Amino acid sequence: MRSVRIALAAGLALTALGIGVLLSRSPPVVAGTGTVRQEKRFASSPGGASVCQAGERLPAGTSALRLALAAILGPAVTVEVLEGDRLLTRGERGAGWGGGAVTVHVKPLARTRSAVTVCFAFAGEHERVSLLGEETPASLAASTPQGVLPGRIRIEYLRPGGSSWWSLAAQVARHMGLGRAWAGTWIALLVLSLTAASATLALWLGVRELR
Amino acid sequence: MSTALLTRPRLPRPALAPRRGRVAAIACATVAALNAASWSFITPPFQSTDEPSHFAYVEQLASEGRVPSSDSEVFSSREALVLRALRWAAVKRKPENRTIASAGEQRTLEADLASGAGGTRGPAGAGVAASQPPLYYALETIPYWLGSGGGVLAQLQLMRLLSAMVAGATALFAFLFLREALPAAPWAWVVGGLAVALMPLLASSSGAVNPDAMLFAVSAASFYCIARAFRRGLTPRLAVAIGALIAIGSLTKITFAGLIPGVLLGLIWLTARRWRSLGRAALRELGLALAAACSPLCAYVVLNLISGRAALGLASGIFAFASRPSLGGELSYIWQLYLPRLPGMSRDFTDISPIRNLWFDGLVGQYGWADTFFPGWAYDVALVPAGLLAALCLRSLVGRLRALRARAPELGVYLAMSVGLLLVIGVGSYSTFPQLAAGFAEPRYLLPLLPLMGAAIALAARAGGRRWGPVVGALIVVMFVAYDLVSQLQVIARYYG
Repeated sequence: MRSVRIALAAGLALTALGIGVLLSRSPPVVAGTGTVRQEKRFASSPGGASVCQAGERLPAGTSALRLALAAILGPAVTVEVLEGDRLLTRGERGAGWGGGAVTVHVKPLARTRSAVTVCFAFAGEHERVSLLGEETPASLAASTPQGVLPGRIRIEYLRPGGSSWWSLAAQVARHMGLGRAWAGTWIALLVLSLTAASATLALWLGVRELR
Repeated sequence: MSTALLTRPRLPRPALAPRRGRVAAIACATVAALNAASWSFITPPFQSTDEPSHFAYVEQLASEGRVPSSDSEVFSSREALVLRALRWAAVKRKPENRTIASAGEQRTLEADLASGAGGTRGPAGAGVAASQPPLYYALETIPYWLGSGGGVLAQLQLMRLLSAMVAGATALFAFLFLREALPAAPWAWVVGGLAVALMPLLASSSGAVNPDAMLFAVSAASFYCIARAFRRGLTPRLAVAIGALIAIGSLTKITFAGLIPGVLLGLIWLTARRWRSLGRAALRELGLALAAACSPLCAYVVLNLISGRAALGLASGIFAFASRPSLGGELSYIWQLYLPRLPGMSRDFTDISPIRNLWFDGLVGQYGWADTFFPGWAYDVALVPAGLLAALCLRSLVGRLRALRARAPELGVYLAMSVGLLLVIGVGSYSTFPQLAAGFAEPRYLLPLLPLMGAAIALAARAGGRRWGPVVGALIVVMFVAYDLVSQLQVIARYYG
């Protein structure tokens, strides 16, 4: 049926366009990190928390903060970056994240700000969230309205990189070939071939049967 | 017209449909196997949930000839060496960290592999896998042996490829289920079958060493056999197949226990249907099914008891359900895990919505060690096609209400199988509550219900009618191709970007 072929072709064209646009974007790069190097669990918080950490540096162009928070199914997180009492930028991440870090997008600033305070908050009664970082003296530690925590959380500041995914393709392909039983860039080519074969077969079947 | 076709228990164009169905079924299975094989190379070694534990189970079964007796996460020295060389712990659940990225790190890995190849193997545990039944792991000892000359990473890759082949079986049985359950529209089988075959979560879970891969296949086969029995009658061969599937599923993963009550309900209903014409003779098939189901299970129980373990392994814990202190609290928790809270229920999830955040978002995209996600906006965008598919499916169902009523017992069996599975997942999750909300509840646990998802998608396509249905189906197929590609790119960006 002609209309099925048109639908498949249009869908494929749209997919190719979408993937092309996605790959023309730049992956985020780390613009800066705080002083915390380790990622050790130093506090955990069932029942929500509001935490502030002073002495941070916000690099220019930062579009997201990656907070070392661990959860199975994390609650919504809000982040505010303050200079004194003045709000510089803020962001929010909805519930549902997991793993050992949550990335919260913020509005980028034109120039770097030193000595800012990063505050983040999350709610939840049973959704346990762990704070990862390192233990510090109380004078350097993060704090909550209830008191000083035993350490500082690790924070990374992300901004868009200068290279598109397209320009990084060869590097990504080489990287995919490492850490394997039979290492080599051929792994990336094999993945490409398997995926192409799977998609082609699916589309062939669609053309053959959908009429 | 379409309602009449749905109720009529025979294939249309009987001379052509089976052959067409055969080619399409094999093609769907091949798509799923190729896709899962691709994912098996995309996901870095051991960066799939609990893969080190599953590998350790196979290793102990292969090298010592017995199931693991310890759930310790201290793995064999050769596995631990590879995990260390791959910086596994630094990458797992830490999306800011990538896998090894330089030729120097690769050389270190190769040197470690060479030095540790003949190292000691035990004593070791199998982590969370230790309490699982042994069938999948026993099958995985074959690629384990085949790859033994190449070291841990070669063994792991071959084991992953076996799982990928099993994904093909999942898609095959899902397709065959659609052929039995929706006989009136052969083109719609292809839409549902391809949607299952291209489901990224199926491919990523089956492109790893994990008994879930086999659980999905056995569950899909169970749905197929039940559908076939409702449509064509419970023959002795089918009864033995259903019984054997109960045994295989029970020996594959504990979660399969959730499907058993529904399958038994189906067998009882089918027997009762035959009773009217055959009388007591109708009991023969039921007996065959039960005998096929129980024999291997009894052997497993005896083996467990001899080796000093609980009779059904972790499944024994499920039967502690009734003896827990707050049955009401547990039921309320399980309800809220899947459905909106009712008035009078305590609020067990305060800042997350399990329906949206856990199940929907997780099914849309959660890979690796549940640490690889799409950006937040992508899940909002996914609501649009998901909502459209749901609306089309609903439209299709509303237009076939009479046919649905005629098949109420069959649908009741599918419902019972689904509810049983959800209950088992909920009971497991409640065991960590209130310390954790939604612990032990992962979206992939719902994939034993993939045949029903395939049916829902096939019905959505059929909402377009005979004229536009195939076009809607083509758009659905291409959407799943795109969805799979974007998911692969997301995982590649996370680990290798």
